[in-house]
Amino acid sequence: MESASISVSERRISTPSAWSQVLGFNVIWAVALSIGGYALGHWLGSKIGINSAPQTETDQDDVAILMGLGFAVLGWMIGLGFFNYPLARIAGRPATLREREEHGAWRYFRLCTDHKVVAIQYLVAVLFFFFVAGLNAMFIRSELTSANATLIPAGNYLTLVGLHGTMMLMMMSAGVLGPLGNYLVPLMIGSRRMAFPRIESLTMWLTVLAGFVLLSATLLGGFPTGWTGYAPLADQAAAGIDSYIVSFALIGISLALVGVNMIATVMTLRAPGMHWNRLPIFVWGMVTTSILAVLAAPVLLAALIMVVFDRTVETSFFITSSGGSPFLWDELFWFFGHPEVYILALPGFGIVLEILPVFARKPLWGYRLAVAGMFGVALMSFMVWQHHLFMSGINSDLRPFYMFTTELISIPTGIIFLNGMGTLWKARIRFTVPMLFALAFFFNFLIGGLSGVFLSDVTSDVVTHGSYFVMAHFHYTIMGGLVFALMGGIYFWLPKITGFNLNETLGKVHFWAMFIFFNLTFFPLFAAGMLGMPRRVDSYNAELHTLNVFVSVSAFCLGLSMLVFLINLVWSVMFRRERAEANPWQSKSLEWQLPSPVPVYNFERIPTITSHPYGYGTPEAPAVADFGPHVIAGEGGLA
Amino acid sequence: MRALAVAATFGVLVALVVVYFIFFLESGPAAIAATRGSDGSADLTLQTVPSYGHHPFPDWVSYMAKDPQGKWEHTTIFKVPAHTLIKVTIYQYDGDSGLRNAFLSGVSGTTGDIETINGTVEHGINANDAAHTFTIPDIDVNVPLPGINPNAKNPCGTAPCSLAEAHNTITFSFRSPGPGSYRWQCFVPCAAGFLFGNGGPMQTIGYMSGLIEVS
Repeated sequence: MESASISVSERRISTPSAWSQVLGFNVIWAVALSIGGYALGHWLGSKIGINSAPQTETDQDDVAILMGLGFAVLGWMIGLGFFNYPLARIAGRPATLREREEHGAWRYFRLCTDHKVVAIQYLVAVLFFFFVAGLNAMFIRSELTSANATLIPAGNYLTLVGLHGTMMLMMMSAGVLGPLGNYLVPLMIGSRRMAFPRIESLTMWLTVLAGFVLLSATLLGGFPTGWTGYAPLADQAAAGIDSYIVSFALIGISLALVGVNMIATVMTLRAPGMHWNRLPIFVWGMVTTSILAVLAAPVLLAALIMVVFDRTVETSFFITSSGGSPFLWDELFWFFGHPEVYILALPGFGIVLEILPVFARKPLWGYRLAVAGMFGVALMSFMVWQHHLFMSGINSDLRPFYMFTTELISIPTGIIFLNGMGTLWKARIRFTVPMLFALAFFFNFLIGGLSGVFLSDVTSDVVTHGSYFVMAHFHYTIMGGLVFALMGGIYFWLPKITGFNLNETLGKVHFWAMFIFFNLTFFPLFAAGMLGMPRRVDSYNAELHTLNVFVSVSAFCLGLSMLVFLINLVWSVMFRRERAEANPWQSKSLEWQLPSPVPVYNFERIPTITSHPYGYGTPEAPAVADFGPHVIAGEGGLA
Repeated sequence: MRALAVAATFGVLVALVVVYFIFFLESGPAAIAATRGSDGSADLTLQTVPSYGHHPFPDWVSYMAKDPQGKWEHTTIFKVPAHTLIKVTIYQYDGDSGLRNAFLSGVSGTTGDIETINGTVEHGINANDAAHTFTIPDIDVNVPLPGINPNAKNPCGTAPCSLAEAHNTITFSFRSPGPGSYRWQCFVPCAAGFLFGNGGPMQTIGYMSGLIEVS
């Protein structure tokens, strides 16, 4: 448990001069040094690979490009000052826990060890890349308003689909762990910080860099593989695939580090009295997600390094004629890829189960069952990956086993549903914006889950594999699930994070528009898939034209609904600036017992936890925490 | 005021992203329309070059197409009318690299299932002599193109190649299908330096693959 003995003098927050801020280590220097790093790395790489057949005949030198990107990463980290502390320690300087926690806007553009600043950096970065990937989706749907390729050349269309998928997956992986996990977990467990604050900041800045490196694929000829990067296509592809490899590797490193940090934080920095059975369910969601991230992301990283070797030093991990096998990529990728699906789902479960009791004014139904369900999902997620390979020619004897395990995973998932429905049963529900999003999560995820059963079944997967049915299924689980949960989480916690209320009316307009047009966009695509419309292709049967025009128009309206959210966010936080109460939702969770926004060091005194945070509906419910003399927080049921 | 400045910066950033993507997406090769003949047919004139010779891939093997004004353009997207006889002439300037699948050395899908090579009617070629193919899988058109003599004294150096340089002239015709977009490609793994010769230009529209836009 963290000591509560931080002196007042240690907590003094400085505000350095503007010049020292600009000249110090920050994102400006990071950009400059990463560009310089790329040039240096590329030059060195071109010297190493000079006169090799691949360099002279293909007009692309993967050694030079990959070394350039590697040096760019180094430059980025040097520019942001991530090497300062290790070098200072080598030079004999004393150890410090925290760094650059100061007032002013500049702290958002540099390494900062305040978990709340890192979380806000994450939120802005993730929203920006969501916007870019969402824009790609709009271009994709624009192309699909015609049965034949009209707007976008086919090669660029494939890159566009790859960019959309990869960026969405990368950013969704960080989408909850980064902004909400980093912000809320220390507050919810009664800590002043994350276990490894510099690593926390590093994961954020690596995520930002990963997004831009992925976009650099457009300057290197794009990549034809989609987000799965299948071999041997990845071995043969143009230089844009190098950007895909490096960006995904950065996300893999970032994910694994986030996971380690999150687990260490929850294990070691819980406040006195914060027993495991008093942990908020959101924290359990973060813990189980982190376990998956720690176990799955390194496998992706290893596979990506093998592709790099195939493309540069002519190994043949994935080349059949030289003793390798493209199946090896499939296995490694999906051993990461399917747990990745639950890296996206578990945070959503955590958010909605945290929101439901607050607005149902009832305790979370089956708390221990919910935790067991999350662990069940996490465990089972490593036993199902070959259902992605049913149609790839795997040993047919393996199919029934993976069909069985895949269908088995619906049991722990079903438990989470039971927890939600049990909490809502006979409740006096307050239909606030966060609650609407939480309820929509269950509706959408149910459709996503039920359609998943068809894909887990070998015989029906033979028909639906590679079609828009699959595409509709995973959009229902990821967008209908996690994105709706994330939106609910943002509406729920943003008053705590920013200190300002979001506009409720605009929030409801956003919700209803997003909910209606999400379903109008993706539900018809089940039909398109069953009628044989293949994924990743810009031309389709003319008979599906009307259906696709309908879907495209719905998708544009869905895009506009996100614009409503953006307007609400900018207007409420930057212009209207209506101060939020400390606890506008009357929640009993620990973070809501603090002022809004939360002060730099979170707690003046580390609280002693006295109860779990779900004692709603009973006036005699015990207080959740003792904050010190004269401060008892979360007392009573707040019914 | 500060809020306005931040909002304006954000707006500019968003606009830049949108414009960038539009430019990127529109950066593909332009389409070339077939020339209408007096007999109602349409003519396509193409050439294959051993290296395109220009940025960003100077060493890549490529197809080129002649526009209605007679100028050679670097594109593989062709617009042709539906249900029409398409007469194709290809000037082939590249050396052979051979087919892995000998089945593709036979001509199919053309009028009479034939091609003419330097004026001689052929039903196919030796698979080892193939430099490229012109293949539209959806309508079963496959035409193998023989490589030039490896001892030719004046092979083409820089694209577009001229008729004074060593080449084979291949002609054939086929009937275009109904409106739609049809992928065509070369099936000879001719991408030197890439794994199995199948990367780079083989996968890239504008080089060894393209589209037939039928309207």
